[in-house]
Amino acid sequence: MSDAPLSRTVRAAFIVTAAGTALWLLAIFLAPWLAGRGAAGAARFVYAVFAPVCHQVPGRCFALGGHPLAVCGRCLGIYAGFAAGLALYPFVRGLSSKPVLPSARTFVLSILPLAVDGSAGVLGLWRSPIGLRFVTGFAWGAVLPFFFLAGAVDLVLTRRRRRTRGDLEKSPGPK
Amino acid sequence: MNQPKPEYLRPALIAGAVAGLLSGLPFIGAGNCICCLWIVGGAAIAVKLLAGQTPGLLTSGDGAIVGALTGIVAAVVDTLVKIPLQRYNMELARRILDTLDIESGMPAGLDGLFNGATGALTPGWMLLGLFISAAVYAVMGALGGIIGVSLFGRKAAPQPPAGPAAPPAPPQGPTDAA
Repeated sequence: MSDAPLSRTVRAAFIVTAAGTALWLLAIFLAPWLAGRGAAGAARFVYAVFAPVCHQVPGRCFALGGHPLAVCGRCLGIYAGFAAGLALYPFVRGLSSKPVLPSARTFVLSILPLAVDGSAGVLGLWRSPIGLRFVTGFAWGAVLPFFFLAGAVDLVLTRRRRRTRGDLEKSPGPK
Repeated sequence: MNQPKPEYLRPALIAGAVAGLLSGLPFIGAGNCICCLWIVGGAAIAVKLLAGQTPGLLTSGDGAIVGALTGIVAAVVDTLVKIPLQRYNMELARRILDTLDIESGMPAGLDGLFNGATGALTPGWMLLGLFISAAVYAVMGALGGIIGVSLFGRKAAPQPPAGPAAPPAPPQGPTDAA
């Protein structure tokens, strides 16, 4: 299946997702950069944006110019992995056919290293170095765009289909 | 596809309320620091509830919608739960950071927060926090909902009604290829 409207939808979803991912990653590095330049208020705002999704404990964050990034090493791995997966997406799936949702097994396998490492850390079995946290996060994040794009494209197509059906139902029949 | 539009609101309200409550509680709320655990998990549960009440297959688009709604509900509940607990949460976080002796490298936002300079308890900050949480949780929830479809969306396709009908759209089942 490779019709033009579908292909346009997939491309649009891909571009919007890529732009959002780039902005998100940029903001992670923006926070310490602003803090380093003395813009405390702006840096505080950027750190606050990421506070709901990350503990931001400085000892577990990579640093830029002596200031911690806006998210921890594991979260950075997830977002960097997402960006890498997104970059690979056109070569793996292409942008002309409807994205297919990966299997539950793919999800479980990709999150397993992160789950094992994270659970062991919480239980106090070991304290993994920040590099390992980054790598386990990266492994999971790299799979996520394949889920996200499938959902985003399907959402657009479903809404378009429902709108078309609604228009057809509203339009007067032949006289 | 003549399948009726699924009722997203009820599963989103139930799962969002639970996810928001867990996110707002001290200690337990820290689960969100692990890839937004409560939000992603709550959205996946919302899909499970939606699958239980919807005939036919759920699409990943359905998962995205119910997941995003779950995230927004969770953000509202999270904010409401945190209002009475905010002073306690800040004191708790302060003690943890003191114990870990990491205050010197604290992010600018937290530093100001603990010094009482940001006015974190004002309605303005609360609304800003709600807006940010709702936006972030909606995206994370959408992702959780899509993952939920992959985990829980698979079930037997309904038998087509007898008589002439348009061919059904191909089901969006998960595949093994990532």
